[in-house]
Formats: sequence, structure tokens, C-alpha cells
Amino acid sequence: MRRAALACGVAALVFFVAFPFAWMIATAFKPSHQIFVSPPALLPSEFTLDNLARLFQQTRFVTYLANSVLVATATVVLTLAVAVPGAYSLTRYRFRGREAISATILFTYMFAPIMIIVPFYVLMRALGLVNTHLGLVLAYATFCLPFALWLLRTFFQSIPPELEEAAMTDGASRAQTVLRVVLPLALPGVIATGTFTFILAWNDYIFARVLLSADELKTLPVGIADLYNASVVDWGMIMAAGMLVLVPVLVVFVIVQRYLVAGWGAGGVKG
Amino acid sequence: MVRIAAALLAFAAGAICLPAQAQKVIRVWHTETQPNSQEAVKNIAKRFEAKNPGVKVEVEALAWGDLEPRIMASLAAGTPPELSHGQPITCAALQAKGLLLPLDEVVKALGEANIWDQVKRVCRAGGKQYGLVHAAGTSLLIYRKDLAAKLGLKPPKTWADLIANARALTLDTNGDGKPDIYGITIPGDNLFINILLGELVKANGGILFDKQNRPQLGSRQVLETLDFIRDLTRYAPPGWEGHGYLETFANLYGQKAAMMYQGYGRGASLIEKGAPREMANAETFDVWVKPHGPSGKSPAAQVDEEPWMLFKAAKHPKEAIEFLKFFYQKENYLEYIQTVPIHFFPITKSLRGDKDYLATPMIQRWKSWIEVQEQYLNKDQGKPTLVIDWEDMTAKPYLMEVLGSGILRDMVMDVVLEKKPAKEAAARAQKRLEEMLKSKGHLK
Amino acid sequence: MRRATDGRTGILLVLPALLLLGALTLYPVAYGIWISFFSKHSFFPEQQFVGLANYLAVAADEEFWRALRLGLVYSLSTIALQLGLGVGAALLLHQAFPGRGLVRAITIFPYVIPTVVAVVIWKWLLNNQFGLVNYALERAGAIDQPISWMGRDWIMASLILVSVWQFFPFVVLAVLARLQTIPPELYEAAKVDGANAWRRFVHVTLPQIASVLFVVVLLRSIWMFTKFDTPWLMIQGGGAEIYIRTLPIYTYQRTFAWYEAGRGSTMAVLMFLMLVAAAALYFRLWRREEQL
Repeated sequence: MRRAALACGVAALVFFVAFPFAWMIATAFKPSHQIFVSPPALLPSEFTLDNLARLFQQTRFVTYLANSVLVATATVVLTLAVAVPGAYSLTRYRFRGREAISATILFTYMFAPIMIIVPFYVLMRALGLVNTHLGLVLAYATFCLPFALWLLRTFFQSIPPELEEAAMTDGASRAQTVLRVVLPLALPGVIATGTFTFILAWNDYIFARVLLSADELKTLPVGIADLYNASVVDWGMIMAAGMLVLVPVLVVFVIVQRYLVAGWGAGGVKG
Repeated sequence: MVRIAAALLAFAAGAICLPAQAQKVIRVWHTETQPNSQEAVKNIAKRFEAKNPGVKVEVEALAWGDLEPRIMASLAAGTPPELSHGQPITCAALQAKGLLLPLDEVVKALGEANIWDQVKRVCRAGGKQYGLVHAAGTSLLIYRKDLAAKLGLKPPKTWADLIANARALTLDTNGDGKPDIYGITIPGDNLFINILLGELVKANGGILFDKQNRPQLGSRQVLETLDFIRDLTRYAPPGWEGHGYLETFANLYGQKAAMMYQGYGRGASLIEKGAPREMANAETFDVWVKPHGPSGKSPAAQVDEEPWMLFKAAKHPKEAIEFLKFFYQKENYLEYIQTVPIHFFPITKSLRGDKDYLATPMIQRWKSWIEVQEQYLNKDQGKPTLVIDWEDMTAKPYLMEVLGSGILRDMVMDVVLEKKPAKEAAARAQKRLEEMLKSKGHLK
Repeated sequence: MRRATDGRTGILLVLPALLLLGALTLYPVAYGIWISFFSKHSFFPEQQFVGLANYLAVAADEEFWRALRLGLVYSLSTIALQLGLGVGAALLLHQAFPGRGLVRAITIFPYVIPTVVAVVIWKWLLNNQFGLVNYALERAGAIDQPISWMGRDWIMASLILVSVWQFFPFVVLAVLARLQTIPPELYEAAKVDGANAWRRFVHVTLPQIASVLFVVVLLRSIWMFTKFDTPWLMIQGGGAEIYIRTLPIYTYQRTFAWYEAGRGSTMAVLMFLMLVAAAALYFRLWRREEQL
């Protein structure tokens, strides 16, 4: 009885989550005439690679994909480089204003991104960073930072300081301790943070929309939104684009998901 | 995977190898995002670069909704592109703020008499031409000729005729008591409702703002227009307020609706692509001339004609002017026009009469669509969005903000969806518009 | 002896973060607050000091209150549903069954795709003429007329559906991780005491995941209340915009379509104050010393 309920639940969950993707893939392989029919056909009767071909030949999809990968990866590197020492400092070191800084960091989260967009753009322009990937990476790192700091901080807090004390008593320097003792223990947390940062950067629409104007620099969300808005809406091609976005993510996720769940757990809460 | 790696490498290489060359870069923004038009513009840019070493042309196609915010953001930051498309009312607004340079040199190169009069009235101020339309196309009342013939329907001369036709064309084809094909389909988004309202008020002999910039939403002509929209949309598919422009085309060739009030020439390409093969032609989908309202005398249609604008703050205006001259030369302009031939009307009489243009296969196939558009243009029945009379272009620089505010659309939705009486909805919109115009200093 | 260098090193380590946040967040925030006291065209230099006039005008603007109401409906509905669905899914995924790893991975997918893809997939599924959802509902006999998912009556529901589908995996991740650290002895003890599944959930599971839920609700509230992308992309290409014109959307329109940066900033500041007040209240209600 319980097994049946469990099986039902899991099936329903998988259906709810995965069916839209399946429909997207089915549409991606349907010829144009088969898409605008009622009743809708579940499976393409004519399997065609036309939509994909159009996507690659007539649009800069590959460029957008490459840009997204580049920008998101750079964001993760920058964010971790800044957040790991920052979070460690907020955890282990005592200095005046530590709590105030932590509180301020959360507060910066509450300002709607869409409203800082215009002054942000003006600032980027003054720094000569408009229409560059660097400007976008800085924007993303900045808005991933509060979350990254907070998440990493809870991970570091879950590691007993006695371990570090022990290592340092044995003669290791602080830096060595961090590298050899702390980071390995916090690795799930670092991976979780890195992954969340990657997603936030990968998914962003508004900063990319406003800060980038050259077509060859566009990231996927903006590229796909433009494909959708174009004068001729090509559902087959849009679905093909969506499908391709899915594939690398799928691969990464199956590999990383173990760390994600474990990572959240260790850093989630104390006690 | 290899492709991505290659793209990444190419990107890296490009990033490294782009030194600050002594090259003049002119940036050109346009709104024709369909792939073949984009390619045409890029080809023209490449040919121009070949003829003008030392000049690089960066072309970018922007989606409609993004164009205006981007123009504004770039102006605010002091780095506008050299050239950009824009709506006629945007051009007028920017010109009124002194942000544009005149394009008379290009006009002269094309031949002033060679350009259609209608086109010259767009964005003209102080005797100078501040915007030069890239191509013109009017809105069209598209209908199912086969169904209309079967039902014996005549071209509608008045709004009442159109409603009668819409009612007749709402058909229950499978006998289950529910309509399977609706009389008419209309897009519900802000831009198109504004376009619709502008057209209809003009066709009803009314105005939206008087000479003192006071909104006239309580006038009889506007109230009749609101009632008409409400009555007409009774024959639109339910949920039409959520239909975008492209969806209305899908409704038409997907046989969910029999008429489109706001069709455009580019629909011909969409029909050829999406309709069942035996129906994808002008014998099945034809156009009627739009009817006029009870208080009006002649039809009115909106003209989709974005002018090229040249920005004063741009770095290389001279080269931009040369590019525009090059753009309108026959071999280049023809290539561009042929990407959406039923929608893109050349602005020059020379190209319009040119045999290569006339021999374009699509034009041959959809002749009736072209003829109706020409009729509107020749009889001066076509105007840009929200423009009732040509003076509005210079006298009413706030139309762009009126469009963006959505107040007029909210008014229409109040009447049609919220079922408010036209008078009440109009009064509310009037108040909001007055407040907005006052805060911007256009109304005392 | 180490204490002294501790402090300095500590500050040094956190300095890059502070610089980045200061320059790229605090400055725009400050500028936004500053501008709320001006009447300013969004893109042209003309501006005029008006003091509190913007705030008064916003308070009198019925569209603002409407947007606030829609925003609250949207946030509260999506948070409740994300929470319910997320906790339920986490409980399911905590059980052992073959293929669990794969199912867990699949459950997270909606969260990692760009919002535009999620919106477009669902717009297509919910298309009232050609969409699969209407077809399925009609075949099942649940409806006899196709539902206009993007029209007046249903667009908010559609928006909530897409938002829940896209973001509930966040809740799943958080709760599932915590579930895995609950000592099984607690459940054993409860079973021995004769508690059934529901009571075990209420008396063992809930208290253990309470602090995670606290954080999750806080974060999701902030993010759903200020969400711009999902409703905005929902409106593109056709959608009854007025019915999902939440506060972020209205703020964006006031800034970028009405070109009133002053008024837009005022609403952003008000949103910020509302969030601060809600967070403060929230913290007080839970009386936790969550170190942030």
C-alpha cells in the first residue's frame, strides 16, 4: 500500500516536472505544418531536423550559448574568489562591525534589481564596461555575492574550529589549514555555492538585456527572448533552442547533484 | 561540443585580436529581426565596407519591445548609435528635444520628387527631414475569401457592416453548438490596441487630443469607437486579450478566425508558411478596404513606417549618411525590400515602378494586398500610430509617452473586459492622461 | 597575540566583497533613493527637486495599490505552493527507491533553465487554441470550452503555475538536504511510541526542518515579491498584461515606458521598505538568532 502510494507520488512528480520538457523536445522535431494543428499530435509523425538546422544556420544560437558559458563560468570564479575568503573571515575572525556587515549584506538583497538597473548602467558606462562581458560578470558577481557569502558562512560555521586549531597547533599556517582541512570539508558547500551562482548568472535576463547591445555578445536568455519576439515566431525553432539549452545542464546536473543535496544539508542549519 | 569549443576559441581570439584600430565604426540598429531581413542588411553593410575601407558597420537587429528603452538608455549614457529605426512618434519626440540630425542630404541623393509624399511627411520639422522611412506598409483587413463567397458577404462600408460580417463568419462547423471559427481576431497587447484606437477614431472623424493638448476621450466619436470595439470583439475568440500579434496570424491560418483587423503584409509570408498548402494563397486570404465609422466618412489605416534616425551625439554622422545613401541604391534597397515584399513598400517611386521589383514572385502572387495598401497611401488615408493628422507629428511630441503609458489600452480593456460603460472608462482615462500631460508640462 | 592580526586579516579578507558590494550595489541603491525625491525624465538630464511629492502621488495612484495587491497575491500564492510542493517532493525523494538519483536530478531541472525557456514552454502548453493542456482537459471532460490561459481570468493562475514549476526545486533541495541529516533514531523512537506517519511528520520532521523552512520562506518571499523576469516574459508576445501587472512590472513601466525615473525610484524604495518591514516582523515572530 505504502509502496503503491510512493510509486504514484514519484510518478506524478516526474510527470509534472519532466512532461513539459518532453513536449518541448517533441515539438522541436516536428515540421512547421504539424505544429499548428488541433488536436495536437503527441508525437511527430514526420521527424525532422529542420528546426535545428534553422536554429544553427539562421541564428547565432551557438554564439549565445558560448557567451552564456563564458560569462557564467567567469562569474563563478570571481564570486568564489571573493566569497570564500569573505565568508571565512566573517566566520572565524573577530572584528568590529562584523555583524553590521552581515546584516547589510542581506539588506542589499532587498533592493529590486530592476530599479538599480538604470543607475547601474550609468555607472558601468562611466567605467567603460558597457557592452562588455566583464561588466556583465561584475554585475552578476555582485548580485550573487550576498547569497554566496551567506551560504558559505553557514557551511564554515558547521565545521568545528577545533579541527583548525588542531592543525595549527601541529604547526600548519592558517592558509595551509584552510587549504588542507577546511576546504575539503566545505567542498560540498563550495560546489553548492558555485552551482547556485552559475544558475543565477546563467538565468539572468535583465542585466544582460540592458548592459549588452552587440548581438555577438548576447547570452542565451536574451538571445532566446529575441528569437521569441522576432517578427516570425517559429515555435519549432524556439523549442529546439530550449532543448539544446537543456542538454549540457542535464549532464552537469546528474554529476553534481549528489554534492548539491549533501552540500545544502551540511550548511543548511546548525543543530 | 566541438562547436562550442570552436566558438569559445573564436571568441577568445577575437577578443584578443581586436585592437583599437584607426577604423570608424558606425552602429546601425534596426527592427527587422526575421533572419532574411537581417541577412540583407548585413550584406549591404559588407558591401559598403568593401567600398569604404576604414569604415566598419556594426548592424544590430532589435526586437520591438527592446528598441525604445535601448535608444533611450543609449541617449542617456551619451552613446547612441549612428542610425536607428524608431516609430514615427518616437522620431518626433526625439527631434523635439533636439537629439537628431537632418537627413536632407540623403533625400537629395534619392531625389526629392522620387520619394512618395506620404513618406516625406513623417518626422519633418522646420522644413527639414529628420527621419527617413525605411519602408512602408499599411495595416490590412484580411478575410477568408472562400468563406465570405460562400456566405455571400459584401465588403463592409461601415462599422455596422463589419460587425454583421463578423457575426456571419462566426461558424459552428461541427455542429456541437460552439463556434469553431470566430469572426475576427485582434491582438490584445498595448501597441496594437493603441494602433487600433488611433485608426478607428480617425475613421470615425474624431481626434484624440485637441490643439491645446487636451484629451478628447469623452467626445462622441471616441465613445462610439469604444462601443464598436466592444461589439466587434464579441466575435473574437475568448481570451483574445491575451493574444499577441503573431498569435492572431496563427489564428487566421490555423482556421480559428475568419478575419483579421490588424493584418499586415508580412502575413502573406506567414500564411505561405503555416497554412495548409491548398489554402496558402490570395484566393483564400484576401483583403477588404477598412470601413468607416458612423461619424466618419472615409477609411483609415495605420502605416507601419519606421524612419531611420540619425543621432546628433553619434560619433560618425557623415559616414552614417553615406551608408544611408548606399542603402537606398537600387541593388541594395531591392534586396532589402524583397525580404518581406508584401509588407515593405519602397519609399522611392523609381523602385516601385522598377521591373525587377514588380517581377518579384511574391508580389505577383499577392497583388490584391499590394493594391489596397497603395490605395490607402495614395488617398492619404494612412497615418502612423496615434497620429490623426500630420500636424500631430510636430505639434504633439508626447504621443510616444501616451503610447508607453498604456492608458488608452486600459481604457479599451475597461470597456470590453470589465464591462464598464464607455463614458465611465473614458472619463477615468481622461483624468489619468491629463495628469500625465500636466506633469510633463504639455497641458496647463 | 593572534587576536590583533586576526582583526586586520579578517578585514582584509572581506574587503574585496565589501568593495564590490559597495560600489555596485550601495551606490545604485543610494542613487535610487536620491532620485525618488526628484521628478526626472528617465533618460534626459532634466530633473527637478520635488521633495515628497512623488511619495504622495504614488500613495494616491490607484494603479500602485492594484499592482501591490497583484504582487501580494502572486508572491503569497507561489510561496505557499512552492513550499507545499517542495516539502512533499522532498519527503518523496527522501525515501529509498530505484532510480532515486535520476529522479532527484530531474526534479531540479526547472530551476536551472533560463526563465525565458520556462515561460515559452508553458505558453506553448497553455496556448488556448493549439496547446496540449486545453486538449487534455477537454478530452478528460473537465472543460467544454478551451480556457484562455493568457486572458483576463486565467493569466494570474498561469503565471503562478509557471513560477511554482520553475522555483519549487529550490525548496526541494533545501529541505531534502536537511531531511538527510535527521537522525533516524528520532523516527524509531516515535514509532515505538506508536506514532503514525502523519504524527511522525508533525512531531519529528517539521521541527527539524523548521529552521530551513524559515530561511527558505524568507528568501523566496524576497525573490518572488521582486520578481520581474517571469511576469515580464509572460506578457511578451501577447498576454493580458493588466492582470499580472505586479509592482516590479509597474515600476519598470513607469521608468521605461512613462519615462518617469523619479516615480519609478519612489516605488522601488517603497518596495524595499515593505520588504524590510516584513523581514523584521518575520524575524521577530520566529525569534531566532540566525546569523546572517
